[in-house]
Amino acid sequence: MTAAKIVINEIKGYHRFIKFMMVLVGLGALASLVRFIFGLGVTTNLNDTYPWGLWISFDVVTAVPLAAGAFTIGIVAHVFHIKKLEPLVRPAIVTGFLGYSLVCVGLLLDLGQPQRGINVLRYWNIHSPMFEVSMCVMAYTTVLTLEFLHPVAEKFGWHLPLRLLRTLELPFAILAAMISTLHQSTLGTFFLIAVDKLHSLWYNPLLPLQFWLSAIFTGLSIVIFEASLVHKYMGQPDETDLLATLTRIIPWIMGVYLLVKFFALAFLTHGPLFDRPVLLALFVLEIGLGVLTPFCMYLTKKIKTDKKLQLRAASLVIFGLVLNRFNVSMFGMEQPGNMIYAPSLIESLVTIGIIAAHILFFVLIAKYFPVFEHHPETVDYSIPDRMRRIDHGTKHPAGSEAGA
Amino acid sequence: MSSEKIDFNKTKTFLIDTTKCTGCRGCQVACKQWNQLKGETTHFFSGEGYQNPPAMSEYTFTRIKFKDYQKHGQNEFAFYKEMCMHCNDPACASVCPVGAFHKTAEGPVIYDSERCIGCRFCMMACPFGVPKYEWSKAFPLVRKCTGCYSRVKEGMKPACATACPTAISYGPREEMLKEAEKRLANRPDRYYKAIYGKEEAGGTSVLYLTHQPLDELGFKPVTKRPLPSYTWQALRFVPGIFLGVGGTLSLVSWFQQRKDRIAREEQEQALCAGKRPEETRKEDHQ
Amino acid sequence: MTNHWVDLKNSDCIFIIGCNPAENHPISFKWIEKAMENGGKVIVADPRYTRSASKSDIYAQLRPGTDIAFLGGMINYALQHDLIHKEYVRDYTNAAFIVNAKYDFKDGLFCAFDDQEKSYDLKAWAYELDGAGNPKTDPSMKDPRCVYQLLKKHYSRYDIDMVCDITGTPKDAYLKAVQAYCATGRADKAGTILYAMGITQSTHGTQNVRAVAMLQMLLGNIGIAGGGVNALRGESNVQGSTDYGLLFHLLPGYLKSPEFDNVDLKAYNEKWTPKTKDSKSANWWGNTPKYITSLLKAWYGDNATKENDFCYSYLPKRMGSYAYGKIMEKMGKGGLDGLVCMGMNPAMGGPDSGAARDALGKLKWLVTVDLWETETSIFWKRPGVNPKDIQTEVFMLPAASSVEKEGSISNSGRWAQWRYRAVEPVGDSKSDLWIIDQFYKRVSALYKKDKGTFPEPITKLSWNYGNGEEPDVHLVAKEINGYFVKDTTIKDKDKVLEFKAGDQVPMFKYLADDGSTVAGCWIYTGSYTKDGNQMARRDASDPTGLGMFPKWSWCWPVNRRIIYNRASVQKDGTPFNPKRPVIAWNALEKKWVGDVPDGPWPPMADAKEGKYPFIMLPEGHARLYALDLKDGPFPEHYEPMESPVKNQLSTRQNNPAVAVPKNVSSDLAKYPYIGTTYRMTEHWQAGAMTRSLPWLAELVPDMFVEISETLAKEKGIKKGDKVRVVTVRGTIEAVALVTARLKPLHVEGKLVEQVGMPWHFGYAGMVTGDSANVLTPTVGCANTAIPEFKAFLCNIEKGGRKG
Ligand SMILES: Nc1nc2c(c(=O)[nH]1)N[C@H]1C(S)=C(S)[C@@H](COP(=O)(O)OP(=O)(O)OC[C@H]3O[C@@H](n4cnc5c(=O)[nH]c(N)nc54)[C@H](O)[C@@H]3O)O[C@H]1N2
Ligand SMILES: Nc1nc2c(c(=O)[nH]1)N[C@H]1C(S)=C(S)[C@@H](COP(=O)(O)OP(=O)(O)OC[C@H]3O[C@@H](n4cnc5c(=O)[nH]c(N)nc54)[C@H](O)[C@@H]3O)O[C@H]1N2
Ligand code: SF4
Ligand code: SF4
Ligand code: SF4
Ligand code: SF4
Ligand code: SF4
Ligand SMILES: [Mo]
Repeated sequence: MTAAKIVINEIKGYHRFIKFMMVLVGLGALASLVRFIFGLGVTTNLNDTYPWGLWISFDVVTAVPLAAGAFTIGIVAHVFHIKKLEPLVRPAIVTGFLGYSLVCVGLLLDLGQPQRGINVLRYWNIHSPMFEVSMCVMAYTTVLTLEFLHPVAEKFGWHLPLRLLRTLELPFAILAAMISTLHQSTLGTFFLIAVDKLHSLWYNPLLPLQFWLSAIFTGLSIVIFEASLVHKYMGQPDETDLLATLTRIIPWIMGVYLLVKFFALAFLTHGPLFDRPVLLALFVLEIGLGVLTPFCMYLTKKIKTDKKLQLRAASLVIFGLVLNRFNVSMFGMEQPGNMIYAPSLIESLVTIGIIAAHILFFVLIAKYFPVFEHHPETVDYSIPDRMRRIDHGTKHPAGSEAGA
Repeated sequence: MSSEKIDFNKTKTFLIDTTKCTGCRGCQVACKQWNQLKGETTHFFSGEGYQNPPAMSEYTFTRIKFKDYQKHGQNEFAFYKEMCMHCNDPACASVCPVGAFHKTAEGPVIYDSERCIGCRFCMMACPFGVPKYEWSKAFPLVRKCTGCYSRVKEGMKPACATACPTAISYGPREEMLKEAEKRLANRPDRYYKAIYGKEEAGGTSVLYLTHQPLDELGFKPVTKRPLPSYTWQALRFVPGIFLGVGGTLSLVSWFQQRKDRIAREEQEQALCAGKRPEETRKEDHQ
Repeated sequence: MTNHWVDLKNSDCIFIIGCNPAENHPISFKWIEKAMENGGKVIVADPRYTRSASKSDIYAQLRPGTDIAFLGGMINYALQHDLIHKEYVRDYTNAAFIVNAKYDFKDGLFCAFDDQEKSYDLKAWAYELDGAGNPKTDPSMKDPRCVYQLLKKHYSRYDIDMVCDITGTPKDAYLKAVQAYCATGRADKAGTILYAMGITQSTHGTQNVRAVAMLQMLLGNIGIAGGGVNALRGESNVQGSTDYGLLFHLLPGYLKSPEFDNVDLKAYNEKWTPKTKDSKSANWWGNTPKYITSLLKAWYGDNATKENDFCYSYLPKRMGSYAYGKIMEKMGKGGLDGLVCMGMNPAMGGPDSGAARDALGKLKWLVTVDLWETETSIFWKRPGVNPKDIQTEVFMLPAASSVEKEGSISNSGRWAQWRYRAVEPVGDSKSDLWIIDQFYKRVSALYKKDKGTFPEPITKLSWNYGNGEEPDVHLVAKEINGYFVKDTTIKDKDKVLEFKAGDQVPMFKYLADDGSTVAGCWIYTGSYTKDGNQMARRDASDPTGLGMFPKWSWCWPVNRRIIYNRASVQKDGTPFNPKRPVIAWNALEKKWVGDVPDGPWPPMADAKEGKYPFIMLPEGHARLYALDLKDGPFPEHYEPMESPVKNQLSTRQNNPAVAVPKNVSSDLAKYPYIGTTYRMTEHWQAGAMTRSLPWLAELVPDMFVEISETLAKEKGIKKGDKVRVVTVRGTIEAVALVTARLKPLHVEGKLVEQVGMPWHFGYAGMVTGDSANVLTPTVGCANTAIPEFKAFLCNIEKGGRKG
């Protein structure tokens, strides 16, 4: 059998859902091609009134916090040394890795001169939030790639890199947190420049802090969300009790977030708050359904054991975040009297393709690489290592490469 | 940024006196001529009076806005020139990730198309909606009024200011401000008492005098603070936060590891001959 | 212009009537704004609230065609309230002159009218003469037959209520305008009146202009800085073209073209050289024989000798009118074989252009010399005609544009400015001079070869403009200025001047009637002298501070920047307004300082040599009462040929000296609204030069009409809707612009709506649209025949094209 045949056969064996995702990805890729051939003006509904649309709002501004699970869980597991959560780390890293890679794809699609992306490294403008985010995204994508090498190395039994990576786990987690803190918040800083444009319901100087906080609790919620789905649909182990730990952490952060938000709303806004009914409704929806409701859910005792509740709370948080990012980057920026922006078919196809790609690659990676099976205890790191503090645990004999 | 060293009293500034503007649109055409911009395909008029094209665009760096209305039974037929304000501390320059925009010491805020990556952040940032995109192209760049830097640096006036018969004066900002104040003082009945651009967005190299209240003419109310300061107040914490987060997390981690190790060592000491803690944990888990 | 553009800055009050300088002469506003900065007021009288009106202090709306009522009311107000400049009026105008006893005015009609011929016997309006043959005067101006009293009586009928009822002007606005303007009657105040097509394009256009001039005379505003009667000339070099004899009744330098009974030069001189017996009158036109002889010498050179009457017999003699309308009429009847349109677009520019386009089809051949393909050059394939039905052979000669050739151009202020070629002509295009040169050379060669009935007028021409492919434009300019044909000695006062044959003539006072001088256009003598091309001077020094810039270019006559400037001083030569002295007599040195004075003589008070200020008139006094206009010595209000109302001042509805043409209709049931046409900044004229330029086309891309909000409501028309406008002559389609700037007029107790439209659109070029001139009537001013483009009756309906 030729390689191609093997691949085809392999694909033939996939689940309908995966095949569907593949079709969506294919369409997305086609749409991207169209965008490059005909240009942004023709293929998107962007214009001088709405220079940023779906791609920035979703593929960048929203996707980044949605991929925040990697760094948040990294902190929790590695920095706070809650080792038992380590099983959650790898899936989160894969999600993060995919998320950021696709953010890069989205960004490149959105740039008028993608071939010059490298200019960000050549000409520094430290006053630019975009510069900051670009540097961070690049750095963080690199970190995530390295972290993602973990399961890859494991799969192929590359011991040396594996050991090196293992050594770097903690520094990486810290670095990831540093970088993420910066760019997650700086995405909020983006909109601080929109002084007289972004509606007061969202515009306030604490926007970066809010972006950061919401990224953290959403990141953790994503972990819950993912683990739940993966358990349900991919037959992976039930991690409910691990997730219970997260459900204890999340409401704290949400609480702080709500405080910051209401403080800012009460004391730091300039314009009128209630002059635009549609925006007000969006705001109420965002806070009520997207923050307050899940916040209350997280506060219940039941959440520790109730898988369904966990999933629901996490889903609402995610919904709240998505709406928040759209409110800030799109709806809240629409000026009365202007025509309304709605993404074009091409824009939508690309974004759908990106989401589909995310799911598809996640599933495929999970299928071929040790993402869930990985439990550090089972791995043999038995090659002598001087750099690592000699630890009794490392002498563990047992075996095998990843538990394929 | 370089702009911090600029003496804004000296930067060349447009004083556009709309009470003297006849709406002849010579400036609009002169701009197209100098910059060799395409004429747009229009239909009828887009907006009040004879206003056209519909908006500033990749082909139109400046445009005369018409205001055609009645007030107290009297006709008001007003015209004002829309263009880049050449902010002292430009938002477009501050947000550009590659520093494609910069405020020159002469006054114009200019754009280096070689650097631009086409992210359109400048368009989001500009409080006056000035930078426009080459939507017609597959690999678009940004376009906006250049302040005729190529002329200004050779000691000439911008094309629009040269063409204008009446309304545009051009000179050092301090002189233009003085002239504006003088006009306001000399003929208070003719002018609405404000100099748009004196403080807007922290001060700009385009100043307007009007007869009608600014909001009636459709001038955007814009913050008096330089816009970059809004983002900078957050961005300036970046190094601090970066190191702060790193430091804190390292400490926490060191502390936690130590705690765990101590706990483990204690455990080990306690169960000297017993099972290893790892195994215990493993079993716990499975 | 009696004054010039820069001088507008010296004015205390700028009265803009029947023109729209902000839109049509944008640079003028540079100076108008300067005047405003110094406290000057601006008044605009226009049917529409224009871009000029938006800059004014006082805006007075008036109904198209009612300017005489408007201005007559101002004259009346000035006289009744004694706001006139008394001294000026008494000494410098003909106010004190006594009119002969035959003069009479009744119910809109002056005496001696021939109803058959539609003409007056002008002799009946003459001054009463004294024994010496000079007009009688009464310096106290009390004589009931003196001009002042007749004037007062004539305009006493123009009281404010009557005027506002005719013009539809709101009374308070009218009063404000009148008071503000009449305040310039003081000696130390200057008021200027700017006018153009809103005043001239009327069946009583010349009288409109006279009314303007009379108001200025009464207020002492002519000859002074910041004053004057200022026609904002139209096409960029239309001043130059009239200077050089563009009009059928004129030769270069405003010499009259010969009439059929001017059989020889003597008869010509007899007829056209005015005479006076008053030694204080300079009567400059008394020099006519010198100028016509020098002109004939320029044309026929050595062939022109005293013996052969300087070839006078070669000049065509006119009989009747050769005005545009008449030519088109004749053409329409198949009376013309061919037509050369050089920089003109008759399929667009004239009235009733539907008829004009048909007339073009009656020609055997048509030559267009233009920068562009125009409506005229493609008339044979215009919408709605079958090219096969048209036999006219059309030749299009591509012309080089103004920036592609060298030469002079004369602006409204009479400044002749030299221009250089900036770029090479595009493609095969050639300068107009080259084209004319070739016309001459080839036609002349044909005549020489094939002979003909009367070849001499062409073959005997003196044509010496160099040997190059391109004629030398400097040789043309030098010939226009003029030179001596033989060595000449001239005694001028205490000086003796020696000139060699071929020397340039320095001033027109040295031109002679004996054939010893050549001058192609006497008023330009002095423009190209031994010191070189004066028109090319670019010295921006301004010694008086009044913006006269005497060394910037050159202006006719004799570089005099403000003409009639002898009227700016008292009789002893001291300026009326010492703050803005145009000229002043230095009694010690016995010379004038400031601008070039109107003649070298000492002030009028000088018993021996003093002269009256208005040197171009035989009586030396400005005419409040005119002697030579076809439709009356005083402007009288008549309704436009098509009008929605009855004349309130008399039973004479229209100007009696204008025959009612066919193809007009005042049927209010069919055509209830006043139509009017105008220009806008963004387009130029028939549009050839602008509608194909994308930068201008984008500004105004469609033919549109402006209507009031009330009319729009009544007709259910919204902004942007397609509408059609209809007159007896035709129908056009346009887009509606509904605006508060256009308001209906209150006239005789009823509201009259107006429909305003630019006349810039046609079927040729990049952006096209229907032509306003399909609607306009072929009827013109009694004196100049300029068509009545500004006031006709029409209807408007929602929805596009029908018929
Ligand atoms: N941009 C531009 N400039 C031009 C031209 C052009 O085509 N485009 N053409 C040039 C030429 S050739 C000329 S002759 C000049 C003409 O210059 P203007 O005379 O200024 O031109 P118009 O717009 O025809 O008429 C002037 C005004 O007269 C008003 N009007 C109409 N009827 C009456 C009336 O009965 N009484 C009074 N008082 N006003 C009336 C009209 O509303 C209009 O605003 O412009 C020259 N300048
Ligand atoms: N309804 C209405 N009709 C009007 C008027 C109005 O107010 N209302 N105004 C009238 C007035 S004031 C005027 S002056 C006439 C004008 O009427 P026209 O003179 O017939 O019209 P223009 O469009 O000025 O035509 C001038 C032509 O000269 C060409 N041209 C430009 N430069 C050169 C050159 O250097 N050489 C040559 N050979 N050609 C050149 C241009 O391309 C243009 O086609 O229209 C009159 N018609
Ligand atoms: S107006 Fe806008 S584009 Fe111009 S300098 Fe200011 S921020 Fe930049
Ligand atoms: S579009 Fe170009 S100029 Fe504008 S911010 Fe982005 S890189 Fe800078
Ligand atoms: S300064 Fe130059 S680029 Fe800017 S509007 Fe004026 S002419 Fe155009
Ligand atoms: S050129 Fe001057 S007067 Fe004309 S529209 Fe522009 S700003 Fe106004
Ligand atoms: S078009 Fe030429 S002549 Fe007319 S106002 Fe402008 S500069 Fe002067
Ligand atoms: Mo004209």
